[in-house]
Amino acid sequence: MLIDFRFKALDPIRNNVNWILRPLEYVMMAPRNIFEATSEYFTTRSSLDQENQVMKARQAELSLLANQSEFLMVENQNLRELMALQKQVTFKTLPVEILFNPPNPISQRIVINRGSNDGLKLGNPIANDSGILGQVVRLYERSAEVSLLEDRDFAVPVQVARNGLRAAVFGAGRGNPLELRYLPVASDLEVGDILLTSGIDGVYPPGFAVAVISKIERNADKNSSNVFCVPVAAVNRYRQALAFLYDPQFDAKAPVIDNKSATGAPLTNTPGRRQTRSRGMQ
Amino acid sequence: MIDIQSGYILRPVNPVFIYFSLLCALLLNLLPIGNYGWVPDWLIICIVFWNIHQHRYVSIIWAFILGFLMDVHNSDILGLHAFSYSFVAYLAISWHRRIVALSVLSQALHLLPIFLLVSLFPVLVHLLLTGEFYWWALTGAIQALIEAMLWPLATRILLSPQRRSIDVDHNRPL
Repeated sequence: MLIDFRFKALDPIRNNVNWILRPLEYVMMAPRNIFEATSEYFTTRSSLDQENQVMKARQAELSLLANQSEFLMVENQNLRELMALQKQVTFKTLPVEILFNPPNPISQRIVINRGSNDGLKLGNPIANDSGILGQVVRLYERSAEVSLLEDRDFAVPVQVARNGLRAAVFGAGRGNPLELRYLPVASDLEVGDILLTSGIDGVYPPGFAVAVISKIERNADKNSSNVFCVPVAAVNRYRQALAFLYDPQFDAKAPVIDNKSATGAPLTNTPGRRQTRSRGMQ
Repeated sequence: MIDIQSGYILRPVNPVFIYFSLLCALLLNLLPIGNYGWVPDWLIICIVFWNIHQHRYVSIIWAFILGFLMDVHNSDILGLHAFSYSFVAYLAISWHRRIVALSVLSQALHLLPIFLLVSLFPVLVHLLLTGEFYWWALTGAIQALIEAMLWPLATRILLSPQRRSIDVDHNRPL
């Protein structure tokens, strides 16, 4: 047990055992799937009609938004280029299906039906239509285990959507609300603030909803505040999700080093400092 | 083997039935019910049962292998269930003479600590490895209670092939 916990040395064995076990799991998933399929098949016409109406309205809304967002994205990229900022990394998404959540009292995980054969990598974020669900923590060939936001000490760097304040959301274990840690009392937070991924960690792409602040306890004498949040994405509602094949190194600009070689002048940009650019004409 | 409850001599056990029941229990454990603490662990009931009644067929090795499978399925640390299952199998074998002689209800009461051990073992290991006590996982106690309550049912089902009468009277089947 210690070997597995500390060194991850037994992962090949786990992979092989999984290879045997997975067909059995699929067999046992059949009753549930059949039940769901039949109940879907027998939905009444009126409910389908209703659903259709809602979907149409939603689709109209979304396509409008999509047209705008395309324009905004191009504009944003152009502006970023003008400012010589790093480009936003584009990434692919991979539709995944949630197979089951294994019964495990300690952690809160789900198993999805895509693995390393589909291009999934360790640490890829998983999201559904409303927000981030979790992160791939163990990879098999045709399936993967995803750790959910609720998992203990599962951290996501976030940004408050309203004012851009950066923080980190931590999972507090099953059944407990998420916590926003390491924030001073005076920080500008309100109940109902939406937390988006900030993207500074290089794991989560920026701008995806993670959680909503549900309760704030300010503690003036310790200069700290306990902020509790609720994840945006409901885990158990849908079986479909998206994996982001996000790699911030991909498509990133190579670091500029030619300013020294031309003139022999000392380096203006020491490593580790932010790239500065002379303004105006020279 | 003598059935203490009824006083009759049981039929010899069919090894195929033993392995079939273990496979069924494993499959029941793989059912995608969800991550609830109270869902009974069918496999451990089956393992303990066969270790008490027929420990020559189902040994600690079997408990270890099945526990290993459960570890992979539950995405636990490898060896967690393997160890607890085989330890419990050992306990069951060493208690089997005493337990078989009891009535079914007191058997269930005797096995409650065994089931509790299996259910709470992950919490213990988590405490040792990370130093955190995980209160939420104590719902495993409910699981152990349910397993103990299922014990009479398990006895009834798993012993039924051996309780069939030897000379069946076809005119009066009961």
